[in-house]
Amino acid sequence: MNRMRFVSTLAAMAVAAFSVTPAVAADIVRIGAPLPLTGPLAPEAIKQQQGYNLWAEQANKDGGISIGGKKYKVEIVYADYQSNTPRAIQATEQLITQDKVDFMFSPFGSGAAKAASSVSEKYKVPTIAASASSVQVYDQGYKYLFGTFTPNDTLTTPLTKLVKAKAPDVKRVAILARNDLFPLAIAQEMEQSAKKNGLEVAYFEKYAIGTLDHSATLSQIKSLAPQWIFITGYINDLLLVRKQMVDQQIKATVVTMIAGPAYKEFIEGAGPSAENVTSASWWHPAEQYEGKDVFGSTANFVKLWREKYQSDPDYGQASAAVSGALFQIALERAGAVDREKVREELAKLDVVTFYGPIKFGPTGQVNSYDPPVFQIQGAKPIVLVPEQIKQGELKLGVN
Amino acid sequence: MLAIQILINALVLGCLYACIAIGFSLVWGVLNVINLIHGSFVVLGAYLGWALYQWLGLLPWYALLIAGPLFFVLGYGVQRAILNRVITAPVLVTLTLTFGLDLILNNAMLYFFKADYRKLILVPPMGQVSLFGVVVPVDRLMATALALVLTGLLYLILRQTRVGRAIIAVRLDRDAAVLMGVDVRNIYAVAFGLGAALAGTAGVLMALIFPISPLTSDGYLGKAFVVCVLGGLGSVSGALAGGLLLALIEGIGSAEIGPAHATTLSFVLLIVFLIVRPQGLLGRRGFE
Repeated sequence: MNRMRFVSTLAAMAVAAFSVTPAVAADIVRIGAPLPLTGPLAPEAIKQQQGYNLWAEQANKDGGISIGGKKYKVEIVYADYQSNTPRAIQATEQLITQDKVDFMFSPFGSGAAKAASSVSEKYKVPTIAASASSVQVYDQGYKYLFGTFTPNDTLTTPLTKLVKAKAPDVKRVAILARNDLFPLAIAQEMEQSAKKNGLEVAYFEKYAIGTLDHSATLSQIKSLAPQWIFITGYINDLLLVRKQMVDQQIKATVVTMIAGPAYKEFIEGAGPSAENVTSASWWHPAEQYEGKDVFGSTANFVKLWREKYQSDPDYGQASAAVSGALFQIALERAGAVDREKVREELAKLDVVTFYGPIKFGPTGQVNSYDPPVFQIQGAKPIVLVPEQIKQGELKLGVN
Repeated sequence: MLAIQILINALVLGCLYACIAIGFSLVWGVLNVINLIHGSFVVLGAYLGWALYQWLGLLPWYALLIAGPLFFVLGYGVQRAILNRVITAPVLVTLTLTFGLDLILNNAMLYFFKADYRKLILVPPMGQVSLFGVVVPVDRLMATALALVLTGLLYLILRQTRVGRAIIAVRLDRDAAVLMGVDVRNIYAVAFGLGAALAGTAGVLMALIFPISPLTSDGYLGKAFVVCVLGGLGSVSGALAGGLLLALIEGIGSAEIGPAHATTLSFVLLIVFLIVRPQGLLGRRGFE
């Protein structure tokens, strides 16, 4: 057994060594992307894939990325881990050791990204997480992991401040969270943020993944008459909860849902009941940055996206695209397809992109931009905060 | 008041669970096949209900009349062409086969409909009825009523019609039924067709209530399974009893010990039933 382990470690080291100095025939940079392309998380995975693909298309446009005076084509190697986190770890290992990718994108969400990060750390493969926001992902002291989502409290703090300023009647909050890493973490962040701002948290409960009915929970929330209802989950959970809130005639001054309302499917699926629901996300197409990345400005990114996919990009899609664009910047600056050099470039990056200013903090998590708070008004997400890109005022009352 | 509201919620939800489970119970009870395509049939029915309303403006109540026969033919065909070939094989074989068929159907749905969640939104919405502060949404109420009608219809078919008696005869004693001149292969296909029709019509009703996506099929299948174990196979009323019990446990559980543990509680109950009363609440050997 020990002998086997020794041999496999040797093999792994050899693989790692070879892929640092690629002697591959064509000049190609290969980036591994384990994604839950099937199973319950498939909708999210497809969004990320679209983002990666748009970046690869742009990067390959004029013959590829210029690295040290040579053109390199970008190739993204996908692996489907079927919405099963243990398989995400295997897929990461396989992409690095067998498919011999040069760099990695993290699997979807905070939980899987954290799990897989130890694999890429072991092989010293620079990895960008496009959809992991929880600080627990980044506080492991890893050197090769970077993330494009700011910590969860950067979403809840501006939201609470806004509600406090515009809706002084709001005194009591009810929080219902999906029992899952990110939805729970953001709900806990909300609880703290509410308490810090002198609001009473009258209800805080978790619901199990795959819950088909929330009626008992919602009846309980209704009986407490909170002015602010804060619910976390993914699109299917939030559509179901929103429908059942209407079913039970639950009204509140403010209803916040994270992370569904930023998506077109939520607005279509919830119909009129989406009106006045507030949310926060890491990016919004209304932003106006002039970037130094392959996409240039936010407006240009949105335009390219519409041309390719006939829809507006959301924050998940944009984050995936910017993750690719960041690798591109780091590769161009490093001047070689070298994992160590690229890692160094990523670590000292301080650049404005179409997605916002990007500078990774000491843990690898970005800390350089203010995520927008928005509200669904007239079936469209309208940005309320930050001031520079504000499109409207907070409207009170959700029926 | 809160307790009454939670109780009413559970009663309505229980009928929906029964509606999801009844076809599954029929197939399991008669054919001894644990039909893993059931959840996907429900989802396919939901898509049908959604599409008919979206494109033709046909209300789900009318869509049921289309979904019923359509799914019967589909189920009949699947049984005749595929399942009948292995129906006498050990239960693991049919289980694996329906698992495979489910993968095919589910991925086909993912391919054609995409994984995006959709929602059937009636315009104008049906609203809610409220009495003494207890609120019940009309769409759930209608779905509940229809679920009861469908269940009653199945009961009548099994008790009053020749084909229904033949289904029960096959369930009780296959060999004796053959000797009496029953075309067993045909009866199997009819039973499977009925199961599919019930799944499809349940799906049409669920489209009103739950978000629609191929990914939701496991949720339906899981509920159907638990309902059957709790209620017991072999009787129409068993599915109803199982559905109500499950919904009550979930409702009371999430109110008393929190929604995170409601599911755990229902599975604990499932295990207790498997140990103490494996035949379920109303289980019997024959079907009625």
